[in-house]
Amino acid sequence: MKKILFFAGLIILNWISCSAQVGTPFIHDPSTIAECDGKYYTFGTGGGGLISADGWVWQGGAVRPGRGAAPDVIKIGDRYLVGYSSTGGGFYGPHAGSILTMWNKTLDPESPDFAFTEPIEVARTVEDEDCDAIDVSFLMGPDGRLFCTYGTYFGFIRLVELDPVTGGRLPGNRAVDIAIDCEATALIYREGWYYLLATHGTCCDGVNSTYNIVVGRSRQVTGPYLDNVGRDMLRGGGKMVIAAQERQFGAGHFGRFVVEDGVEKMSLHFEADLDRSGLSVLAIRPLLWKDGWPEAGELIEDGNYKILSRRRGYSLELSVDFVRAQGGKPFWQIQADEPMTVLEGQKLADVANGWPQGTIPVRMADYMARPHQKWTIQAVPDAGGYLGGPYYRIIIEGTDRALAAAEGARLETVPAFTGADRELWRIDQLTDGTYRIMPKVIPGQAVNEAGAGSLCLVSVADCTPALGRFDFNSDNCKWDLKRH
Amino acid sequence: MKRLLILWAALHLSAVLSAQNPIIRDQYTADPTARVFGGKVWLYASHDILSPVEPEKKWFSMADYHVFSSENLVDWTDHGVILRQENVPWGKPDGYSMWAPDCVEKNGKYYFVFPDAPRNGRGFAIGVAVADAPDGPFRAYEKPIPGVWGIDPCVLQASDGKTYLYWSGMGLMGAQAKDDLTELAGTPVRLDENLPQGFKEGPFIFEREGHFYLTYPWVQDKTETLAYAMSDNPLGPYEFKGLIMAQSPNECWTNHHSLVQYQGEWYLFYHHNDYSPAFDKNRSVRIDKVLFNPDGTILPVTPTFRGVGITSARDQIQIDRYSALCHQNAFLAFLDDQRPFEGWFISLVRPGSWVRYDRVDFGEKAPGTLSVRYRAAKDCAVSVSAGEAACRFDLPASVSWKTLSLPADFPATGIQDLKVSLEEGETLQLDWLSFTDTSWESFSDSSTALEKYLVPASGKNASPDADGFVRRWLLLEPISKPHRSNNVFTETYLRELFKEPYFPGQLGEILPKDGSRVGNLCWHAFDSRLFNVKLFRFASNLSEDRYGKLYWMATVVHCDREIPDVRLSVGSNGASMWWVNGEEALLMDGDRRMVVDDCASERLTLKKGRNVIWGAVINGPGLSDFCVRFLDGNGNPVTHFTVSTK
Repeated sequence: MKKILFFAGLIILNWISCSAQVGTPFIHDPSTIAECDGKYYTFGTGGGGLISADGWVWQGGAVRPGRGAAPDVIKIGDRYLVGYSSTGGGFYGPHAGSILTMWNKTLDPESPDFAFTEPIEVARTVEDEDCDAIDVSFLMGPDGRLFCTYGTYFGFIRLVELDPVTGGRLPGNRAVDIAIDCEATALIYREGWYYLLATHGTCCDGVNSTYNIVVGRSRQVTGPYLDNVGRDMLRGGGKMVIAAQERQFGAGHFGRFVVEDGVEKMSLHFEADLDRSGLSVLAIRPLLWKDGWPEAGELIEDGNYKILSRRRGYSLELSVDFVRAQGGKPFWQIQADEPMTVLEGQKLADVANGWPQGTIPVRMADYMARPHQKWTIQAVPDAGGYLGGPYYRIIIEGTDRALAAAEGARLETVPAFTGADRELWRIDQLTDGTYRIMPKVIPGQAVNEAGAGSLCLVSVADCTPALGRFDFNSDNCKWDLKRH
Repeated sequence: MKRLLILWAALHLSAVLSAQNPIIRDQYTADPTARVFGGKVWLYASHDILSPVEPEKKWFSMADYHVFSSENLVDWTDHGVILRQENVPWGKPDGYSMWAPDCVEKNGKYYFVFPDAPRNGRGFAIGVAVADAPDGPFRAYEKPIPGVWGIDPCVLQASDGKTYLYWSGMGLMGAQAKDDLTELAGTPVRLDENLPQGFKEGPFIFEREGHFYLTYPWVQDKTETLAYAMSDNPLGPYEFKGLIMAQSPNECWTNHHSLVQYQGEWYLFYHHNDYSPAFDKNRSVRIDKVLFNPDGTILPVTPTFRGVGITSARDQIQIDRYSALCHQNAFLAFLDDQRPFEGWFISLVRPGSWVRYDRVDFGEKAPGTLSVRYRAAKDCAVSVSAGEAACRFDLPASVSWKTLSLPADFPATGIQDLKVSLEEGETLQLDWLSFTDTSWESFSDSSTALEKYLVPASGKNASPDADGFVRRWLLLEPISKPHRSNNVFTETYLRELFKEPYFPGQLGEILPKDGSRVGNLCWHAFDSRLFNVKLFRFASNLSEDRYGKLYWMATVVHCDREIPDVRLSVGSNGASMWWVNGEEALLMDGDRRMVVDDCASERLTLKKGRNVIWGAVINGPGLSDFCVRFLDGNGNPVTHFTVSTK
């Protein structure tokens, strides 16, 4: 019983650590996350940016010359194209803007290859015209065409086309107005649609910043970008993607990062994080797609869950003897005038003594709200993470018994969580809202990182879980996590 | 003026100067002597200024020398000052008498020869300064050349291996000199005794195909021509042959010159008071080509604006430096009389007026864009042609100078003569033209003029647009209400704010008259060109102060019959409040952006006849605007009414 209380305490203590990126992720107007030689980079306003070795723990140290505002970065071939604006906008101007691009072979400032090319101007606005050329965003379209959007609340958001070889503006390319009254746009492409994500509201007012991210979509890159009720973003349309959270305010500067088919992340900043002195912080969330619209997914919060297979809807459980619950009576014995009583469900203490002491295998069965089907998922502090999330432990609720990967790509539970890598789990919310559950390592195998060949929790039969290849197109690889 | 000159000099310090005539376009230059050193043309010239001291203010005034160089006679580099009057040991430090110079090279040394007023005594002596490079630094000898009194030195290194010095003293003089020009090596002789009468100065002697040419400014009539005589010997006797250049029609009294062969062609360098029409002692150097007859005589040179060299079509082609101009209905003028170095424009007054500019290099690729800087009170059309290429361009009226970039289907390549003719309109003023490859910079409409957003309401009642937006409004000029942030616009604040009285008849049935005033502020009846009414541009066209404003607006919706169950639907940046027929219809608080159908009123009824709509919008640091329409029970726009501001 004492042990149970101990775990309940941990849940509260750890809750904060899994709500945001850790380290020193302080940034304003982060660029789309870029990967270079196994590390992740994002650049911010004013020069510099953040680096992360695992995508969860972020530190300063990225280098971008030119200062100015709101950069973006895109990898094209084996080079990185970095865009930024040499000017800074602001509520009261000035509003003469200039978008510049430059190349680098690497984003790693320690690399001998690290050298930016001379910046070239790709868009310009003069003082007081109905556009302010800051807040650049790049998109490499499905046809290999490179586009760039820019602009702020000061007039129109504009689209121009760049030469993917030089990073310069295509000769003779005329800017197209695609939205009004927003800023910090990002253009993305998915399954025949171009999506314009835009930041509405007011920035730079700390916990009162009203920044929020909305979206419209178009079959043509030049628009019209319409929202879910058909309103053109040139008339202020937009469907919400993410707004303020309970303790984080001012969501802005969307960026999309596709990890692999079915696994996508979105980066943004919150202008103020109440748990970090109200500073502006980097946030990375799962990116979901529902009915053709992007939505912000959620990081798993520490808590008690049932883990249900998407294959049949069976629950992951310990492979232990089924114990009949007590109380109640068959329906034919019910008498209408009998007073109602409330029966207790089966408790851990009712059954745990009958469980084996050592490792116990896992299996699946229909959910019966039995203790061997109830799990606690908790972020593990200081265990690092992956892009946008920490490693979790998955234990039987009220116990220390932990799900672990075992030699030979098998699954088991160990009697006590030790912090070993095989007991750490990567949990990604997939683009359809379901979850992929991956062990950090599988004993006897190479590092189990996301990507082709990675192994995750799968249903090989309705009742038989295993570690198998991830395939987004198969429900065998997907899980629902439901609070109970 | 002096400050202006200094400013111009600072801007162009060691900059490359592009040129037609005059070739130096940021300072006065005169008395040019051009020499070829190391494959480049080096121009040694007097440097006219407006004298800072009396009595030279109305006279020639020159305190130092610059040298310029060019590899193509078109682009000139100013190498800066090479000698100042303070640095001549024997010269008067405030003499302002650094007149026409020359420079020659011998055994790797550059000998710069110049007149100056001696520290002691009167008149002019001629001195020498030596350097290891054509652009200096030059160090002046301690003493002037003994026995030489006068101006306009010229040095000839003749094919006989000897060095000769010429100058203008008591007549045109010449003598053999030592190679280092420390002193004469022979007795001076007078060269002009057999030449026609009239004032002469500025001798320039050169040798070509066995002939020696004595060329000189000569007052045949009123002002100086350039004349020449020929001889078989450096020191004559010289036989008069005629004029190289006639006197100038607009009475620049002096001319002064040199001839130089460069890359197989001969060029005449001379000067004219192009940048100083009112004061002919501030002059500017020009170049035109020189041709010789087979017998060695010189064909007369007609001064041109176009000058020499080839102009890239991708540069700004200064069409006012034309090769030819129609005889009537065209004229030349300074862009700014107070700032002559800004250059000229050409005015084509009537259809049929034309101007031609020769030798424009279009390169291998036809351009895609024509940029033109122009001004015209009326819409004009021009035809532009070069070789086979010809294109017509419409130039919309613009009372101020405007640079317009137009897509050009203009298949010109190689070197062509460019002609521009006025086809329609009148008094088209052209500053320059430039052809470019089609570029993104060509397309930009950065105008924020009021007429792009709002035009005065006129005519009978307006209809809502196809989407139902009411575009005719009576707007009061903005009232200042500074706010740092927009999220202070709470419902409580807004109700208090809009309850205050701002003008008589506020929220009343009778609208203020277009043009009537509320204190300093005026009511304007406008039709919006856009679905939304851009209040910010209303404000920005009135004043620099355009944030933190409260706007009042009103309009009248006229219905043929009662329209029940509609909603007033509004988008506004920022907060706003709306009244229909005196009743509050909608309040939109907080930090708002322009979003179509952001908020809608309760169901209301539009009466048959007049329905008065009032609105007020307040904004802190935003781009204020609003859009208003009525939606029916199905959410579709209502359009069967008309709108007026009466």
